[in-house]
Amino acid sequence: MATKVVMEALSPTMEEGRLVEWKKNTGDAIAVGDVLADVETDKAVMELVARAAGTLINQAVPAGATVPVAAVVAWIGAAGEAIPGAGAPAAAPAPERRADRPPVVTEATLGVPGVASPGATARIAPTAGSPAAPVGPAATDAPRGDPAVGAVSPDGRMKASPLARRIAADKGLDLAGVAGSGPEGRIIKRDVEQMSVALAPRTIAPSGEAFSDVPVSQMRKTIAKRLVQSIGPIPTYYLTAEADMERAHEAREALLARDETSKFSFNDFVIRAAAAALRLHPWVNAWWLDDRVRQWHDVHIGVAVAIDEGLITPIVRHADQKTLREIAAEVRELAGRAREKKLKPEEYTGATFSISNLGMFGIEEFTAIINPPEAAILAVGRIGQKAVVVDGTVAVRRRMRITMSCDHRVIDGATGAAFLKTLVGMLENPLALVW
Amino acid sequence: MRPLDVVDLGRRRYHDVLELQRALRLGRIDGSVPRDVLLLVEHDPVYTLGRGTHEASLPFPAETLRALGADVVEIERGGDVTWHGPGQLVGYPIIHLSEHREDLHWYLRRLEQALIDALAELGIPAERNPGKTGVWTRGRKIASIGIHVKQWVTLHGFALNVVADLSWFDSIVPCGIHGVGMTSVRRELDAGESDVVLEHRTREAVVASFGRAFGLEPHLGALPATMAAFAAQGPHHDERGAFATLAIARPTGNP
Repeated sequence: MATKVVMEALSPTMEEGRLVEWKKNTGDAIAVGDVLADVETDKAVMELVARAAGTLINQAVPAGATVPVAAVVAWIGAAGEAIPGAGAPAAAPAPERRADRPPVVTEATLGVPGVASPGATARIAPTAGSPAAPVGPAATDAPRGDPAVGAVSPDGRMKASPLARRIAADKGLDLAGVAGSGPEGRIIKRDVEQMSVALAPRTIAPSGEAFSDVPVSQMRKTIAKRLVQSIGPIPTYYLTAEADMERAHEAREALLARDETSKFSFNDFVIRAAAAALRLHPWVNAWWLDDRVRQWHDVHIGVAVAIDEGLITPIVRHADQKTLREIAAEVRELAGRAREKKLKPEEYTGATFSISNLGMFGIEEFTAIINPPEAAILAVGRIGQKAVVVDGTVAVRRRMRITMSCDHRVIDGATGAAFLKTLVGMLENPLALVW
Repeated sequence: MRPLDVVDLGRRRYHDVLELQRALRLGRIDGSVPRDVLLLVEHDPVYTLGRGTHEASLPFPAETLRALGADVVEIERGGDVTWHGPGQLVGYPIIHLSEHREDLHWYLRRLEQALIDALAELGIPAERNPGKTGVWTRGRKIASIGIHVKQWVTLHGFALNVVADLSWFDSIVPCGIHGVGMTSVRRELDAGESDVVLEHRTREAVVASFGRAFGLEPHLGALPATMAAFAAQGPHHDERGAFATLAIARPTGNP
């Protein structure tokens, strides 16, 4: 039965370590206390010592790799023993669990060598591998914590502690396929906590969507660290622009006159325009995931709705592919059910961008708070008539101020400004939005 | 308060002291060296390459550097390339972290604190540079830190530029950080004192602040008998400062 060797925390504040050099090679005999590798954190190198005897059957990461604390770096087992589950879920610090969607997985960056190909990922194993296995012995023979098996008992029931189940339910985590580290692979609190750290953003992801993960460069890491030190966990800054809404007003009047059964709000225009603009600005339609920025290929806009107990952001999915009329109808329907508290979790989680509008309360302009891991949120103020200079003369125009809160770790000033420019341009020329 | 044996080795070749450190560490692990030790030394010019060494940090081939009169040694500490040589106070604490805290970051931060306090005593404002281990003053690096730990016993340590000729650093990228400027106590203090006096003041301050940082009481220590052979070799150069003048407690019943 193979034993994991993990990146040890050499300090409570250590989050990742660099495996500097392997001192043992695959196939070498290992005694307890043998130095397996040198590990570096900061300017300190420490020896990683074997806690089990046997044979080094696998080096899960190459020398020079930086891996998170608690990630598997090697396996010690009997000579010739296979690596449990080809090291798939456990070897990956933040394993991609969407093997059932090959296109997604090919795009997703796993970044950890030694991880099985998507097709070989372990999810099918528990049932496919052991349906005929006798109940009694199979349960005890199953390698403890074998990631390929997952914490599923032979009768197909999930093995998890009540506490682990409750935490998972609270966090909306799916325990299927999770490798438990408790007795007989039982899922315990620690597993769920680790999983929620590694997977939380993904488990609430829009299901089956395509994305590109852009690894966070050293420069971006440094920018992120500095900004967080300065302003808090999400280094937010704000960009405000003013859009001329005269033509949107005309368009809305025309639409309302022509179709008395439908309602269109200016906010529907904003959602439609933002969706179109997000398609052109992948850095804004993105999530911050600490080691990478996920640029979503589809646009799902969360629309903040005030309800009795606070607020909720139902999501207009694929907003970029919907007409103004469809968006208007969907927002009304979602908002109605939101007030009745009848939204399902998948209807308010997984937005790629959010919009909050307080114009109906007469708010001129305001700043909204980012809903992580989203990179930005747009705050929309009221539309009011103002004296502005148009073509050299003073004219009365309907104007609207919009303010975007940007996570500076993802969106730099110029990037956010370019998005707002596109958005304002679309709002001021709404013909393309209407149809 | 637990004692700290401070051993001043004078000026020594890098490699010799490395051997001594390793022997002391093994003794600290097996218990034959019962107390924490701080070795102080000044090296002959040497470039050392840590485990994080990037090729680009050493722009000249080792041969060229050797021709300049410097040795080039590859070692197991963390960090990139650095230089040691005359005018630099090098400290090698052989500390059993299990008797303090099994926490490498804590150890690195305490080392930095000891140096920051010592520099403050000398009148130099120094600080950390988040994410870059070492000690900095007015945007320049004044002390480097790099350690290696085996079974929670430390090896390697810190190097504080006191009156060193900083041009030795010109030919390297210190610690892999491009654009880093190096400085020294001499350069920051602009004191009228001679090199010898400045070096002594610095040693005194470093020993005292090191003791405070780790809750240890510095004693003028001696090498364990098993390592007496090393001590008998005597300093490589006879330019050592008179460590005996340091204002630290003479041990009672010193081994």
